[in-house]
Amino acid sequence: MIDREMKKGSAELLILALVETQARHGYELCKLIEARSAGVLTFHAASLYPLLYRLEKRGVIEGRWVEKAGQRRRRYYRITAEGKRVLAAQRHTWKEFMTAIARIAGVQHA
Amino acid sequence: MPEWTREITRALTPLGLRPEREREIADELAAHLEDRYCDARGRGASDAEARNEALAELSGVLVPELRRVESPWREPAQLGAAARASVLDTLRQDVRYALRSLRLSPGFTAVSVATLAIGIGACTLMLSAANSVLRRPLPFREPDRLVVFWGTAPEKGLTEVDYPTGLAAVVRDRAHTLESFAVFTATGVNLTGNGDAERVEGAAVSTDFFRALGVSPMLGRVPVASEAALDEPARVAVVGHALWMRRFGGDSSLVGKTIDLNGSPTTVVGVMPPGFVYPRRSEMWSPLAIDPSRFNCWCFSAIGRMRPGVTPEDVRRDVANVTDDFAILRQDVFPGAKRGKTRVIAMSLSERVVGGVEKQLLTLLVAVGCVLLVACANIANLLLARAATRARELAVRCCLGASPRRVATQLLTESTMIALAGAVLGATFAAWGVHALQSLPTTLFPRIDEVRIDFDVLLATVAVALVTGVLCGLAPAWRAMRVDLVDAIKGGAKGSSTRANRRTSNGFVVAQFALSLMLLASAGLLLRSYHRLSNVEMGYRADHALIARMQLPYPRYDSARVVRATYQQVLDQAQAIPGVKAVGLASRVPLSQGNPQDNVIAEGKEPANPNVPVRVANVRYVTPGYFAAMGTPLNRGRLFRASDDDHSPRVAIVDELFAKHFWPGEEPIGKRFTHGGDTSAGRWVTVIGVVANVKHERLDEAGDLQVYEHFAQRTTWNNYIVVRTAGQPESFVPELRALVRRVDSAVPLYEVHSMSDAVDLSLGTRRLTNILLVSFAVTAMLLAAIGIYGVMSLGVSSRVREFGIRLALGANPDGVRGLVLRQAAVLTTIGIVAGLAGAMATTRYIRALLFRVEPLDWITFTAVSALLAVAALTASYLPARRATRADPMLALRAE
Repeated sequence: MIDREMKKGSAELLILALVETQARHGYELCKLIEARSAGVLTFHAASLYPLLYRLEKRGVIEGRWVEKAGQRRRRYYRITAEGKRVLAAQRHTWKEFMTAIARIAGVQHA
Repeated sequence: MPEWTREITRALTPLGLRPEREREIADELAAHLEDRYCDARGRGASDAEARNEALAELSGVLVPELRRVESPWREPAQLGAAARASVLDTLRQDVRYALRSLRLSPGFTAVSVATLAIGIGACTLMLSAANSVLRRPLPFREPDRLVVFWGTAPEKGLTEVDYPTGLAAVVRDRAHTLESFAVFTATGVNLTGNGDAERVEGAAVSTDFFRALGVSPMLGRVPVASEAALDEPARVAVVGHALWMRRFGGDSSLVGKTIDLNGSPTTVVGVMPPGFVYPRRSEMWSPLAIDPSRFNCWCFSAIGRMRPGVTPEDVRRDVANVTDDFAILRQDVFPGAKRGKTRVIAMSLSERVVGGVEKQLLTLLVAVGCVLLVACANIANLLLARAATRARELAVRCCLGASPRRVATQLLTESTMIALAGAVLGATFAAWGVHALQSLPTTLFPRIDEVRIDFDVLLATVAVALVTGVLCGLAPAWRAMRVDLVDAIKGGAKGSSTRANRRTSNGFVVAQFALSLMLLASAGLLLRSYHRLSNVEMGYRADHALIARMQLPYPRYDSARVVRATYQQVLDQAQAIPGVKAVGLASRVPLSQGNPQDNVIAEGKEPANPNVPVRVANVRYVTPGYFAAMGTPLNRGRLFRASDDDHSPRVAIVDELFAKHFWPGEEPIGKRFTHGGDTSAGRWVTVIGVVANVKHERLDEAGDLQVYEHFAQRTTWNNYIVVRTAGQPESFVPELRALVRRVDSAVPLYEVHSMSDAVDLSLGTRRLTNILLVSFAVTAMLLAAIGIYGVMSLGVSSRVREFGIRLALGANPDGVRGLVLRQAAVLTTIGIVAGLAGAMATTRYIRALLFRVEPLDWITFTAVSALLAVAALTASYLPARRATRADPMLALRAE
């Protein structure tokens, strides 16, 4: 069971990680998170988009409208240089955090 | 494919974003919802299921989350017509939705509308009364500029001293603050010819009277100065509209005709317009000459029209100065006069007319305000309970894009609709109430016949309704804005939001009890005052006493001897009526209009110098049978005898106060006094008896010194016949009228009433106030009882599983009942304690309305607290009993 606070704390890291290698749109991000977490983590539009806008405002990702024939226009997000630095820092922090948790609580990586 | 953009745009509206930005977000979200929808369809979901799944993506956090990131923006042009149109649009939607949802729960709607109708109706009624009595101008030209004034000499026992014409002439000529000035005195007349003799209330008025009031006759003219005659009956008169219609059939040729007044031919010179009855129900006005040389009768009331910009206080100072100047010059009339000695009281006419009832009306207004607040608390509680049961509906609306503020507005719209419906029904109640008030006699309450529901009152009612609507809806709306959507959607209101609701409800119940207790305490104090007052020692027996007044007209009856003989005839014949126990006559009876008084000097206690104030006493002339007829007991000495006549030495009976004032600790019988500055050889009057003190003008007065002289030695033309009867006094009226007609068919009997009616009437204003205040207080208490019933019922319903389990585990039903009652007792106790604190702080404001009861009367406070506690526990008993019948299986299954 993933509670709301845990989800909130990790959301930024998940999104940055998913747009690190290629630009993605919001729905794609939702689907990826759900699929890769095997349904443990889900994001609704109501919380995903405000988060995306916040990240964009902080300059860690940037969005770009892409129009394709016969489809709605979509906004694709990609990581910025600043985003990469933040992602690296967050990865490091989470790694330390999880190691610490594992030592104390005896939780092993899957 | 559903159209997402519009739904999303509506959800985003409260953020007030820049249009391009709003469009961007809407596009992005729409693409998202569309993807979700298509996926769901691809999995085989129905259109509706797919649509719901997509919409669920927008659950309640969207707007608050976006608000944290996006900054609001408004295009200035949008503030104009478009914005207004959208506000109106929203309002229309809300109203339509509110009406629909109220129609769906008719029980709730009916109870709330009825409750508020009681509160708002009572408010409208009292607002109409206050507006008509206190605010609506008197029917005169520029009534604010009318001022009345009189002298006062409390050291002599005189609170109000009227003017002699000599002094009136001085004020008329010298008071520069007055534009016009008039004096008048009430003078009833016997109107004969054209049917039975009739007594007509009237006034002798100086020439400027009509000009000062700013009224003109409807027909003809008003009297001129030359028509005012000294010492003889007036030759001309002006007739009131009601009398003109009643007695003369509205005949316009009456002007110029001669009618018979007090046996003298009098020419009617004018007819006044309808509604003009000043002073005090007058229907006939005759001219009065202001004789500058007369100071014998201090019996004329003064009225003036102030110059623009002048206040009654300016008039008071002006008149006092003018009087001082004159008094110093005329030491013969004003012995010991010096500057600053004259004391004058001046007040606006409207203040004088409604004098004294302002406090009562304001008290009642505050009381209805409290009733309305208590009713509001009930509705707020009902709405809270309703909002709890509707939590899921409200949550779905939020998910579909309604902002919490929008939902709150919706709830406020609903409560306002209820309040407006309550106002319509309440105004109908108030219209009935106003009708009932109008039919009360004006002697009971000044201007009560003028009470109307006018535009101002209706406007105020609408305002009250709107405020009420907001007050009732505020708490539910506030709670709705903070509802947890996920909890609400999952399974109705549970947990913290219910607890918060219950806390709010409990708060309302406590407030209701506090307000009700404050009202009950005030009502209780007034009731106790009333009880004390109606049991006050009056000095006479009001039961089985019939009073009737008659006047033998001068100059047809031109000698005291004839007058005495005629009255004796009436008394003898009345005594002979079977069932009559005693008959007497008096120049004034208690609780009648007017109170002739005179300066009294006791023999051997003459004031050393003219600066010592002389005490004043009420003077009455009575026949020997008067005391038995009135039931005034003789405490010492003897009553008058037939042998005390105009040839024997003057004798008088005084009351205990008089005896105690002039001869404290001495035997008053045989002592002598004089009154009225009589310097003749036979001026001394010997005291032969002492009777009980009598309440003359009001039951709550302290009492005046009283002298009774023998009618055979001092004769008056206008007197009251007092008949003590064995049966109902009213049943003797026809015989009394018949015998007076036999004695003189041109003399009507008037002011015919039983003494107990007079007592009732003198208590009337208080009784009306009491009835209204008590009914308001009881209404508040009942509403509060209903309130606690509702809250306890809800509490029991939400804990039914707990109670069921307790009972199943072997809890004693008494224990479960006690649990509920204990909770009710806690709420009631807090409410009562708060109410007592409030009552202690507020009851002193009604001190003026109390009689021999302290504002902090602990007996009243204890009694009303007990009453309220009993009401509360009775109301809580039903829910408590229901708790003991909780079935654990049923309760669990319901979960």
